[in-house]
Amino acid sequence: MSAALTILGKDLRLRLRDRSLLMFAVVVPLGLTVLFSLIFPDEEGFELTAAVVDADGGQVAGGFVDGVVPALVDDGVLTRVQVTDADEARVRVADGELDVAWIVPEGFSAAVAAGRPAELEVLVAAGRTLGGEVAVGIAEGFAAQVEQVALAVAVDAAVTGPASPERIEAIATGAETAPEAIAVAELVAGEEQRLDFTSYMAAGMASFFVFFVVGTGVLGRLEESQHNTLPRLLASPIPPAAVDLGKALGSLVVGIGSMTVLVAATMLLLGADWGPLTGVAVLVVGLVLAAMGVMALVGGFARTAEQAGNFQSIVAVVLGVLGGAFFPIPGEGVLVELATSISPHGWFLRGITDLVATGQVGAVLPAAGALLAIAVVVAVPAVWLQRRSWRW
Amino acid sequence: MVRGSRLDQVLVCSGLRKAFGELQAVDEVSFSIARGETYGLLGPNGAGKTTSISMVAGLLRPDAGEVTVLGRRLTPTAAAAKSAVGLVPQEVAIYPDLSARENLRFFGRLQGLDRRELDTRTDEVLALIGLTDRAGDRADTFSGGMKRRLNIGIGLLHRPELLILDEPTVGVDPQSRNAILESVEDLATDGLAVLYTTHYMEEAERLCDRIAIVDKGRIVAEGTRRELIATIGEHDLVRLEIDGDVQAAVEQLRGLSELGSVEVEDDHIVCLLAGAARRLPALLGAVAEVGAVTTGVEVREPDLEDVFLHLTGAALRD
Repeated sequence: MSAALTILGKDLRLRLRDRSLLMFAVVVPLGLTVLFSLIFPDEEGFELTAAVVDADGGQVAGGFVDGVVPALVDDGVLTRVQVTDADEARVRVADGELDVAWIVPEGFSAAVAAGRPAELEVLVAAGRTLGGEVAVGIAEGFAAQVEQVALAVAVDAAVTGPASPERIEAIATGAETAPEAIAVAELVAGEEQRLDFTSYMAAGMASFFVFFVVGTGVLGRLEESQHNTLPRLLASPIPPAAVDLGKALGSLVVGIGSMTVLVAATMLLLGADWGPLTGVAVLVVGLVLAAMGVMALVGGFARTAEQAGNFQSIVAVVLGVLGGAFFPIPGEGVLVELATSISPHGWFLRGITDLVATGQVGAVLPAAGALLAIAVVVAVPAVWLQRRSWRW
Repeated sequence: MVRGSRLDQVLVCSGLRKAFGELQAVDEVSFSIARGETYGLLGPNGAGKTTSISMVAGLLRPDAGEVTVLGRRLTPTAAAAKSAVGLVPQEVAIYPDLSARENLRFFGRLQGLDRRELDTRTDEVLALIGLTDRAGDRADTFSGGMKRRLNIGIGLLHRPELLILDEPTVGVDPQSRNAILESVEDLATDGLAVLYTTHYMEEAERLCDRIAIVDKGRIVAEGTRRELIATIGEHDLVRLEIDGDVQAAVEQLRGLSELGSVEVEDDHIVCLLAGAARRLPALLGAVAEVGAVTTGVEVREPDLEDVFLHLTGAALRD
C-alpha cells in the first residue's frame, strides 16, 4: 500500500502541475456553465400566462377569482386565459400552454366559513420555476388575507353579539390555534421535476468533463509507458499491482476533487442548486467510479496513450450527449430511456434532479446504485483487458 | 560460459529463451557477472540485447531459463532480488514535470529508502551526476546529456549490487558520452557489477572486462577483448578501396590461399589474413587480374567490429 500511495502522491503532484488538467477539471466546465447561463438565463418573465378555475362559486372563492386575479391582470403580472374546467387547465399546463393555473375546488368557501381546512390547488408547468414560486406566493398571500378576515369577523361577532367573556376568549384562542384555513398545494404538472437551467448545466458540465479528468490516470501502465518510466517502476521491489492501484487512486482523488470544486464554485458563484450535499457526495463518488471504469475499458483497447486518449474522447462525448450532459434528450420512449440508462451522465443528472426535487438524500439511491453497477460491469472487462498487457 | 566462483557471481543467467510469435528474440543465452566486473552485450539493433536485459531486470518472463541475482531467483515479486538491481533503461525514464531531486526521491521511496537515507543518497547522487546546482529545476528544462545523467543517477540511488545499463549513450553528445563512460568505469572500480549493452564497439572495448557478441538472439562468442579477437586467428585486416568490378575482385581474392575471409563492406573489400605486409603484393595482383585498380589500402589489427563481421558475416551497425 505504501508503494501505491507513493505513486499516488507523485501522480497528484504531476496533475497539479499539469495546466491541461486544471482546464478540464475546473476552468472549462465552469466557464461553459457560466456561458450557457448567460445565454439562457433562468429568470423567467413575471408575466405569467395563467388560468383560474372556480369550481366552488362561493363568496370566498369569489374574493380570489374576482378580486385578486383581476388586480394582477391589471398590474401586468398575469395574462389570464379562459378554461372551461379543471381538467382542461391540467392538460394545458402539462402541455406548457399555461405557465400556471389556480383551481378553487368545490366546497372551498364552505370549508373556510366552517373553519375546516381548505385547499387551493396551484398547477405549475415544468421548468417554470420562478413562475411557480410567484403563483404559490399569490395563493399564500390570499390565504393569509382570508385568515385575517375570518379572525376579524369572529372577533366582531363575539364583541357585538350576546357572548360571554369566556366565549370571546375561546373564539380568539380558537382563531390562534386553528389549523391554517387554506393549505396551498403546489402540484407540478408533468411526471418529472426538472432542475433550473444553471443547476442543470453545472451538473451536466461537471459530469461531462470528469470523464476527461479521470481518463489519463486509469490508463495506468500505458501512461507510464508514455514517460518510459514503466520498466523502472516494474523493476522496483514493489508488487506490480501497486502501480495500477496507485494510478487508480490518483484518478479517484482527482475526479472527486474536480467535482467538489465545481459543485462549490457553481453554488457560490452561480447559485446552482445541487440539493443536500450528502446526496451530492454519494452521486459524485458513483459517477467518478463509473467514469473510471468506462475510461479504463476504452483504454484497454488501445496500444498507446495517444490512441487511448482518442478512444476515450469519442466515448466521453457520445455518453455525454446520450446522457443529456449538454441538454436534455428531447422526446420519450424506449430508445431515449435506453440511451440515458446506459450513460453515467444520465444517471448522475437523474440523481441530482431527484435530490433537488425531494430534498431527501435517499432519493439518490437508484441513480447511485445504477452508477455503481455501471462501474462494476465495465471494470471487470477493463481489468481483464489491461491484464493482458500486464502478464510477466 | 559462466566464469569464476558462484559465490562471487552477482548475476547468473542460464539458458534464457524468449520468442515473440515466430521470432525467437533470445535463444539459449547464458552468462554471469561477478562483483566489480563490467560485462558487455555487444550486437546490432534487434540482436536481442534489450529483450535479454528485460528478462534480467524481471520485466519479461523467460520462456525458458532462469535469472538469479545474488543467488535469489528473480521474479516480479522477488523484492530482495529486485532491490539488488539498478536499471537504467535505454529511453530516458524520468518525469519531465518533476525536478531532478523529486525524480530521485520518488524512485528512492519505491526502493524502500527511509527518509534519512533518501536525503543523504539524493544529495550524493546529485553530486555524482553533476546536477547539484540544478537539483530543483524541472527535468524538462535539462539538456539531453543532463537527462541521461539523471537517468543513470536514479538507477544508482539505492546502491544496487548490479547495475544494468541499456545503451545509455544513444543520442548523447560526445562530451556527455565521455562523462557517462567515466562514471561507469568508476562504478565498476567501486565493486559494482555492471551489465552494459551497446552497439558501439568502442564503448564495449573501453568499458567491458568481458563481452558477449550477440546476433539474432544468440551469444555467438564471449570473452575478453583479446580472447574475442583471437577467435579470428593471428590475422591482420586489409581494407582495399578499388575502382572496378568489386564482385569479380572478391571472387579472385577468394581464390587465394591463406585468406581468413574476404567480405565487402561499404564498397570496400575487407580481407583477413596472416602476414599482411608479406602477402599484400599478391592481393593487389589478384585485383589487377580482373581489370580493377586499387586506389587505397589500409592495413591494421582487427577489432571487435571485425570479429563480429568474421562471426556473423554482417557489420555491427547493420
